[in-house]
Amino acid sequence: MALSDLIDHRESTELLDEFAKREIRRATLAAVAIPGYQVPFGSREMPVARGWGSGGLQITLAVVHDDDTVKVIDQGDDDGVNAVNLRRLVTSSTGADESSIASEATLTQSRHRIPEDGLDETSILVLQVPVPEPLRGVERDMRELARMHAEADYSRMWVSLYEDKVRNGVITQSTGYPCLVNGRYVVATTPIPRWDIPRLHDAPFLTLFGAGREKRIYAIPPYTMVEPLTFEDVPFEVENSDGACCALCGKSESFLVSLPNSTTWLCSDTDWCARQRPAT
Amino acid sequence: MGYVSARGGLDAIRAAEKLVRTKRLVSDSNWLEEEQILDKLRLLVDRVMGEAGLWEPQLASKAIRQSEGDATEAVHLLRAYRSTLPRLAYSEATDVNDAQVMRRIVPAFQRVPGNQLLGRSVDYTARFLERTADADAREEAEKLRGAEREIVEEKNPPAEEISPRRLIDLLRDMDMLIDRRRTDDPEPFDITRTPARPPAPRSALLSSMSRADTGALVNQWYRNILGPDGYLHEVTLGEVRHATLPLNVRHPVTGDVVTVTHIRVSEVEAIEDLEGIDEDRTRFDVGYGLCFGHNERKAIAMANLDIACHRDAGHTQLEQSLLLTTDALDSAGFLEHLKLPHYVTFRSMIERKLAVRKMRSNEASTHDGA
Repeated sequence: MALSDLIDHRESTELLDEFAKREIRRATLAAVAIPGYQVPFGSREMPVARGWGSGGLQITLAVVHDDDTVKVIDQGDDDGVNAVNLRRLVTSSTGADESSIASEATLTQSRHRIPEDGLDETSILVLQVPVPEPLRGVERDMRELARMHAEADYSRMWVSLYEDKVRNGVITQSTGYPCLVNGRYVVATTPIPRWDIPRLHDAPFLTLFGAGREKRIYAIPPYTMVEPLTFEDVPFEVENSDGACCALCGKSESFLVSLPNSTTWLCSDTDWCARQRPAT
Repeated sequence: MGYVSARGGLDAIRAAEKLVRTKRLVSDSNWLEEEQILDKLRLLVDRVMGEAGLWEPQLASKAIRQSEGDATEAVHLLRAYRSTLPRLAYSEATDVNDAQVMRRIVPAFQRVPGNQLLGRSVDYTARFLERTADADAREEAEKLRGAEREIVEEKNPPAEEISPRRLIDLLRDMDMLIDRRRTDDPEPFDITRTPARPPAPRSALLSSMSRADTGALVNQWYRNILGPDGYLHEVTLGEVRHATLPLNVRHPVTGDVVTVTHIRVSEVEAIEDLEGIDEDRTRFDVGYGLCFGHNERKAIAMANLDIACHRDAGHTQLEQSLLLTTDALDSAGFLEHLKLPHYVTFRSMIERKLAVRKMRSNEASTHDGA
C-alpha cells in the first residue's frame, strides 16, 4: 500500500482507516484463538457514542466484505432505532447488503439478543457489549481482576452466586449470565437474556463480542463448550413466562417480552415472529 | 398495534436528523462564522481540542458550531473524524524549555528569574456581568483598536522573559528536589492504540489526563479535597504557564526535522511537600500537568493528581480512577446509552423478581403446612 493510498480520504465514506481494521482483525483472531479471553485493542471513536454499539460496529466494519449480507437488531428488533442507525452506517460505508432474515445474513450484529433461528456455520454473530468484565460485581480493582482471570480464580464468583441463592431462594442474575467458556475463562454474556444462553453452547456459529468503551474483544468460536455458572443441585433457569404466547403469532417457543400490563406478550425477535404468522 | 407505534425505525431517525439540521441552519440570526468561534469562543475551542486530543483549531470551530456549543459532542465529532484517517507520522519530542510564554505565574516565590507575567487572564478581573449596550461596546472597541496595536508593538520582552528558567531548576540547584529524572528514554505509551490499565507507565497517566474531560479532572481533584478519597493534599504551584510550542516532524523524504505548526499549551509544575513517614522530609517532589490550549484549571488538577498518583504508588485505586473514568466520551456515551431500549433486560429482571416472590410464597406455605 502506497502512502498516497492512505491520505486521500476526503470523499471516502469509510468510518475506520485501514490500519484500524487490520488491528481489530488481529485482536479478533487472538480472541478466537483463546475462547473467552478479553483481548485489549485500540478502540477507535465511531460516529455512534461509546455505549451505543461502538465496539460491535468496529468488529463488523473490520470483518465485513462487500459480498456479505448484514442483519442488525436491537432487543431482537430489526426496526429499533439503534438497529436502524447502526445498519445504515454499515451498509452506507461498505458494499454489504442487508436482510432481516437471520439465515440470509452472513453477519448479524445484535444488542441483547440472539436471533431465534437461522444462524449456522456460515454465520458470524457480533454482540455489542456494554460491560465485558463478568467479575466486576465482586471485584473493582483491575489489577486483581487480571490476576483472577489469569489464575482462573473464580471462587468469589461462586461465593456470590451461593449467597444469592441462599438469600433469595433463586439465583437473581437476570441477563448477562456469567458463563465458563471452553472450561477456562468466565465471560459476561453481553446482557443477552438467560433464554439465549443455552444457544451459545456448542453453537455452529462464531460469536464475537465487542466492547468499544472498555476496549476489549472476546469470542466464542463455533462448537465451543459454554456452561452457565451454577451448582449441581441448582439447575440453570431461563426466563419463565408461564405458558404465555405471542399476541401476534400465537407461538410460545420464542423469547417473549410483555407490554406493561403483563398480560399481552410479544416475540422479541420481530422477524422470526413475522415468519410464524400465516401469509395474508 | 400500540407496540408497533413504540418502535422508532428509520422514519423517526430521519425526522430527528432533519429537525436538528434545519433548526441549526435556518434561523433569523446572523450566520456564525468559524472565525468568530475561533476568536470569540477561543477558550471553548481550546477545551474541545484538549479533550479531543487533536490540535486543529479550524476543525474544532466547525465541530463547536455543528454541536451547537455542546463541548462533549464537539469532542466526539473530532475524534470520530480522526478515526477515519490513517496515522502517517509521529512528532519529534519537543523540549518544553523551547516554549515561549504568554503568561507565567510562580506562586512559590515573590520574585523569580524571568519575572511573573500575568498576561491575558481574568484571575483578578472583577466578575461583573457586563450589561453595556452593544452600541457602546462597539464604540469602545473602536477606541481600543488603536491601543491594542500599541500593546502588540510594545511587546518585545527580553529572552529570559519569553523562555524563563523554571522554578524547579532553581530548586534542584538548592538540592531541594528529589531527582526522578530518568536516563533511559522509553517510548511514550500511546493511549489511542493500547488501552491503558493499571499499573501503567507515567506517560499513559499523563496522556490520559491531558486528554481527559476538564470537569472530570477538576472533580477528581476536589473529591480528594472534600470528598471521600483524600489521596492528595494541596500542592504549591511552581509554574503556571500558557505558552507556544513548536510541533516538529521528520520530513518523510529529506529526513530533516521540520516545524509543521505551533501549538499552545497550558503547563503546570506542582511542588509537593513530602510528609509521609517513608518519604524524604528534607526535599520536595514535583507533579506535572500539560494540556492543549489555555486551560489552566485542567493543567493544575492534572499536576496535582500526577504527584498524588506517584505518592500513592498503587496503594489505592487512584490510578484506575484517573486512567479509566476521566475520558469525556467514555463517561458521557455510557451515561447516555441508558436512553436506548432496555426492554429485554427489564423483562428478565421482572421475571427474576417474580421468581423470588414465588420461592418465598412456596416457603411460607410449606411452613404453614408444617
